[in-house]
Amino acid sequence: MAADVHNQPWESMPSNGCLTAEHLTVERLRIDRAESPTPGLVEGTEPGAGQETAMFVHTQSFEDLTADTEEEAGPESAEGVGPVEEEGPDEEVCPEEEARRSGVREKEEDVTSEAWRAHRKHVFVLSEAGKPIYSRYGTEEALSSTVGVMMALVAFVESDKNAIRSIQGDGYRVVFLRKSPLVLVGVSRGSQSDRELVRELQYVYYQIVSLLTLTQLDHIFKHKQNYDLRRLLSGSEHLTASLLRLLELDPGPLLSAVTCLPLAGAARDTVSASLQHARAPTLVFSILLAGTRLVSLVRRKEQHLHHMDLHLLFNLVGSSSSFREGEGWTPVCLPKFNTAGFFHAHVSYLLPGTPLCLVLVSTDREDFFTLSDCKRRFLERLQKRSAFHALQEALACPTYPVAQVGIPELRHFVYKSKSSGLYTSPELPVPYSSEEEQERLMCLYQQLHSRLHHPTRPLRSIYRCTHTENLFAWVTSGFELYLCFSPLGTKAVAVAAVNKLLKWIRKEEDRLFILSPLTY
Amino acid sequence: MTAMRVDAKVVMLGKESVGKTSLVERYVHHRFLVGPYQNTIGAAFVAKPTHVGDKVVTLGIWDTAGSERYEAMSRIYYRGARGAVVCYDLTDSSSFQRARFWVKELQNCEEHCKIYLCGTKNDLIEADRGLRQVDYHDVQDFADEIGAQHFETSSKTGSNVDELFQKVAEDYNSSSFEVMPEEQGVDLGQKKDSYFYACCH
Ligand SMILES: Nc1nc2c(ncn2[C@@H]2O[C@H](COP(=O)(O)OP(=O)(O)OP(=O)(O)O)[C@@H](O)[C@H]2O)c(=O)[nH]1
Ligand SMILES: [Mg+2]
Repeated sequence: MAADVHNQPWESMPSNGCLTAEHLTVERLRIDRAESPTPGLVEGTEPGAGQETAMFVHTQSFEDLTADTEEEAGPESAEGVGPVEEEGPDEEVCPEEEARRSGVREKEEDVTSEAWRAHRKHVFVLSEAGKPIYSRYGTEEALSSTVGVMMALVAFVESDKNAIRSIQGDGYRVVFLRKSPLVLVGVSRGSQSDRELVRELQYVYYQIVSLLTLTQLDHIFKHKQNYDLRRLLSGSEHLTASLLRLLELDPGPLLSAVTCLPLAGAARDTVSASLQHARAPTLVFSILLAGTRLVSLVRRKEQHLHHMDLHLLFNLVGSSSSFREGEGWTPVCLPKFNTAGFFHAHVSYLLPGTPLCLVLVSTDREDFFTLSDCKRRFLERLQKRSAFHALQEALACPTYPVAQVGIPELRHFVYKSKSSGLYTSPELPVPYSSEEEQERLMCLYQQLHSRLHHPTRPLRSIYRCTHTENLFAWVTSGFELYLCFSPLGTKAVAVAAVNKLLKWIRKEEDRLFILSPLTY
Repeated sequence: MTAMRVDAKVVMLGKESVGKTSLVERYVHHRFLVGPYQNTIGAAFVAKPTHVGDKVVTLGIWDTAGSERYEAMSRIYYRGARGAVVCYDLTDSSSFQRARFWVKELQNCEEHCKIYLCGTKNDLIEADRGLRQVDYHDVQDFADEIGAQHFETSSKTGSNVDELFQKVAEDYNSSSFEVMPEEQGVDLGQKKDSYFYACCH
């Protein structure tokens, strides 16, 4: 595989002048979106853009996610190790992962084994005093010698706090993220860029903050540098493990976006209105989920949810069977909203056996019974309406085949509407049904994403061919689009497909997106 | 307007993985879930009506997470509770130390709350007596000292589980004649924790 990548290097579209803004008739932009099936290039008019204010913290895209670290220090290479190279086209793409397939339980692994070393990505969390806090594979105790080496490296590569550094070794890339009072280390054998790795480490960091708050973390380590944080994190290892899987398989975190359960617009509006109706004074967000898909989100007027906090909530709910019974009530910090305090989340499945889970986020830890009553009122109201039936039917097909778009060469795509922070994507077709293949495709999208959002040389579009698929990525101020074609496709096919696809998304946007989000 | 009528608030306390969730699961759903153990996140609430004589008493059971992470939060779960089932694992002596901690906490903060000491996983002891790490008579002495009830249960076989909760309901029923019912559940008017607001405004 390495060879064919080498033969067909990345191609930047703007230099060919093949697809530019003019390509999609600019004048149509001025036409009211209701009359225009063709999407605008301007943010707020693209398919899937919400009609009112956005539900999420306004996110341009990847940049604002890393902004807080970049302000302080951009990714830098360690002195004497050589500059960090732009991933070369001859680099092997996503090598197969023997260890994971062998099905060894992640925690029980022998850290001296070949399998352990062969894992494609290791993630470690340490305290600044060098105490192990989390290791993705193997137990933290067994890793104490490795931890020593890493701490020495951390001391070597940096003097500033909150800095990112990376070093590259024999087929490995090691990225350090110092988020005082924690140090996070990612070791990757894959082709991920530093920025991708840093993004994942940030998620792990925020996962920990969401359980404890930064205020508590700081407090603990200020009073006892040597504190063993595993005591407080016990029982949360499965959350971090499933978060790392989510990061590898779900385009949402990559795109800073979430996806919706396809549902007729009218039914969704009824669900939203019922949620809006079941309000309470301390309620800040009412979120209805179907698995990792958003059905509706109603929020307090001035408050926006950050997609990252939403991903952390998805992960918390999705990876904890403990919410399956009864009603859950848990403190949760939404770190992108506020790292200092806890919200209190009422978590319950609407009916036994459905994937519909309602998360009500309140500011008051005493308010359990008020929220429990909100849930009851929401359900009662919804059950009286035909939308409830529509919702249950929608659960039966939470995704759609790419064939609906009617482009034979198109295998898969991911489309994000920037202004709404929502994305849509069809189900993965046969060649990508295994988890390995799914992860490989995600890797390819990640690479395209890295190219498009390169900090100094961003691209507007990329076309790339390999033995196994042809890929096309395009970003405008309104949307971001990644397409995967069969290897038989051509660039002309890809370019034509974009127009057709955008028209299709425009036609279906009512079902695929939340066009009219509500506030209380 | 009110969602459900709960007569008696009951809280499950104890070190993580001693089997609190399994006890509630057995009592409420009459089953024992096998498979990988999953920690409770925060706490889970379930209301369960039960018959005491010809009356129906609804227990509002709070199944709390054992992780130390949630310790600071525990007060909201046991405040105003009529019964506390303090669990320990019969095969783990350290879990009994933790039970003593909870007993002390309850004695200090919640004097009207009846305490039920519950040794869990009795089926393991029955299969192999050598596994027992907490002596029955030691706990009985401790229970007498603090005026608590004492049970040994197995959520796997169901042994003594219904008896435990039935006793909780009966005790509530007979004591509710004497004690003026206190505020049930939580005080909605009371706004604590305004620190959160202080941070974001
Ligand atoms: N053999 C046996 N195993 C049990 C019994 N009760 C619980 N277990 C096991 O002990 C483990 C922990 O049980 P949980 O009920 O989840 O423990 P918990 O006290 O709720 O734990 P936290 O939620 O973390 O505080 C699970 O693997 C259960 O299967 C029992 O009566 N017999
Ligand atoms: Mg539990």
